[in-house]
Amino acid sequence: MYSSDDHNEAGYESYGDYEPHTGDPQYDLDHDRSYYKMPDLVKKFLVYFRNMINEGVTYEILNLYENTFPKLTEQYFENTPWPDENEVAPIVDNDHVFMILYTELYYRDIYARVPGGPKPEQRFQSFYNYCDLFNYILSAETPVPLELPDQWLWELIDEFVYQFQSFAQYRSRTSKLSQAEIDALNTENKAWNVLCILNVLHSLVDKSNIKRQLEVYASGGDPDSVAGEFGRHSLYKMLGYFSLVGLLRLHSLLGDYYQAIKVLENIELHKKSQYSHVPACQISTSYYVGFAYMMMRRYADAIRTLSSALLYMQRTKQLFSTRSYQNDQINKLTDQMYHLLAICLVLHPQCVDESIQQVLREKNYHEKMFKMQYGDLGEFESCFTFACPKFLCACPPPIEAGSNYARDAVKHQTQVFMDEVRQQKMLPTIRSYLKLYTTLPLVKLAAFMSAARGGERDAAREHAALAIHLLCFKHKMKNVVWSKGPSGLDGKFQSGSELDFYIDNDMIHIADTKVAHRYGDFFIRKILKFEELNRKLHHIKI
Amino acid sequence: MAETMKQTVAGILKSIERYNPANLQTLERYVDMQSRDNIRLGGYLSVLKLYQFNPEKFNTENETISQIKYLADILEQCDFAQFWNRVHQMPELCNRISGFHDSIRKFVCHVVGITFQTIEKDNLANLLGGIDDVTLKHWVKKYGWRDDGNLIFIANQDENIKTKNITEKIEFDHLAPLMALL
Repeated sequence: MYSSDDHNEAGYESYGDYEPHTGDPQYDLDHDRSYYKMPDLVKKFLVYFRNMINEGVTYEILNLYENTFPKLTEQYFENTPWPDENEVAPIVDNDHVFMILYTELYYRDIYARVPGGPKPEQRFQSFYNYCDLFNYILSAETPVPLELPDQWLWELIDEFVYQFQSFAQYRSRTSKLSQAEIDALNTENKAWNVLCILNVLHSLVDKSNIKRQLEVYASGGDPDSVAGEFGRHSLYKMLGYFSLVGLLRLHSLLGDYYQAIKVLENIELHKKSQYSHVPACQISTSYYVGFAYMMMRRYADAIRTLSSALLYMQRTKQLFSTRSYQNDQINKLTDQMYHLLAICLVLHPQCVDESIQQVLREKNYHEKMFKMQYGDLGEFESCFTFACPKFLCACPPPIEAGSNYARDAVKHQTQVFMDEVRQQKMLPTIRSYLKLYTTLPLVKLAAFMSAARGGERDAAREHAALAIHLLCFKHKMKNVVWSKGPSGLDGKFQSGSELDFYIDNDMIHIADTKVAHRYGDFFIRKILKFEELNRKLHHIKI
Repeated sequence: MAETMKQTVAGILKSIERYNPANLQTLERYVDMQSRDNIRLGGYLSVLKLYQFNPEKFNTENETISQIKYLADILEQCDFAQFWNRVHQMPELCNRISGFHDSIRKFVCHVVGITFQTIEKDNLANLLGGIDDVTLKHWVKKYGWRDDGNLIFIANQDENIKTKNITEKIEFDHLAPLMALL
């Protein structure tokens, strides 16, 4: 699941109708449980679920996981969590593996639905359950006999990173924590440590040989030939692949964009492959890659990554509308990606697909882009903070009352971004003048610039200042752009923006990109629309 | 010695070991060695990573960091005159890293190379940090530029930088549905 503090809004208003209550939901929950009898349908579901997992019937597992589980949640557990492991274990003959998987779903549900988020103990227990799961998978001598649908495997890894992020944020809001919570956090200092998370993800990557597999796959070979005993197994292979995406996200949250992109070596983002069939994973990947490129001032790459993902989402919208829990996150992520794209296109104007352009012209994007073009730094900052990932502090300070560091990491990354924007502040103004000419003497442009600024004229200083801005323009608009090869970090220097120029001694020569109006496209669409309308009119019976 | 060091570091960088604080000293030594030799990104980044995870090991005077950040900022804005001005005021910082000045000049040459077709000789010498005629000749030669008296000829930019016209092309596939309607 994606970073989201917002998906707790609905549900869990009250914990049940039994009296008396202590007022503390945790105690009340225990209290209520003693009266609680598990509905037969739920029991049957749990047994059937376990059987299907043991028999490895993946399509049925997917159905139970994606459809039945949420349905039962709605039906029986709207205001309560699912039964905990003590109640479930006897029903499924204490099936060890099933209980780990069930517990993961149990906590995931609590994270998603309890207002105010889970309690410290629940966060720790969830963490230790993940340890059990990964130990089971990683310390086996031979591949474990477990097959799960890829959708589930992806959400498992994604949720693991999400819960880490959630924990780090929870811990950092010191001022909101009670003394009991602070004590709990201080006694337990191993859980949700960043090195643990890195270790798990790296171990899954290593165990599956996924890097080598991707390398061979990219060069047209058979990945199975290098996969090894574990990596040939779908469970290990896909966990390895999704762990790479988990690492991408983790490095991004820590502000390490270079490492974030590097970890995806040998994955071609826009190519359909045997690894790319989980849409939520694809979208998440594009968001983090696009963001990392933007922060590395590789605007052309960021624009390509974001717009191709957004196009894909436009075309496959109906795919996501069915499952509401994924839908909210995807809508939010889409909005964030449009914001990132808007920022990139202001800093680095470039042609993008017409249907993307259409969205950016509508809604509030247009106004935001307009403001940014006119150098409104506040607008840049608010677009950035809306669209950026929820950055984390890699090494949080000890928890003390009053030491609030929750916003530090976000502030730091915002600062980095805003420094870049400030360095480029004069470029839109220069661009707007250059757009009017094919050649323009340096002196004349210097005069324009100072007239726009107002104040005294000092030809020599104006000239010097302009020379700096022009060099800066060329430098900032010439970036490494990926074209081919295994690493997203590679590329060649290119000027991908629509306006370019060079200076011949004291004359500026300007090259613009002129895009002819797409009349044909326009008329084709209108004709089809008109035809459709006409057809409908004929069907109306009066 | 240097070779074994390189191999050890390469091993560290590839694995989970890059996050192990016990390796920080090795990596620091490696970076220090390179700052006198030449620069490789990987080692630097992993040292920074370890500083990020272990802030208590981050042993450096803040004064230097803010100076470096300031230099990076004006360099990024291409205010080269101001940059050299500052650099000359802090020789103890910049001379410590061998090849520092020339690395900056390489960057200046890159920006000049993409911006100019011809540039005044004095202007170029200033951008490169007020270098003398002999040194200027060296850089001009290194980049294959040409001395034209008062001007330096950089490259024929008009070959690469020209107005692009994107016209609409209509594919037959798009027209076919219309044909069916007629």
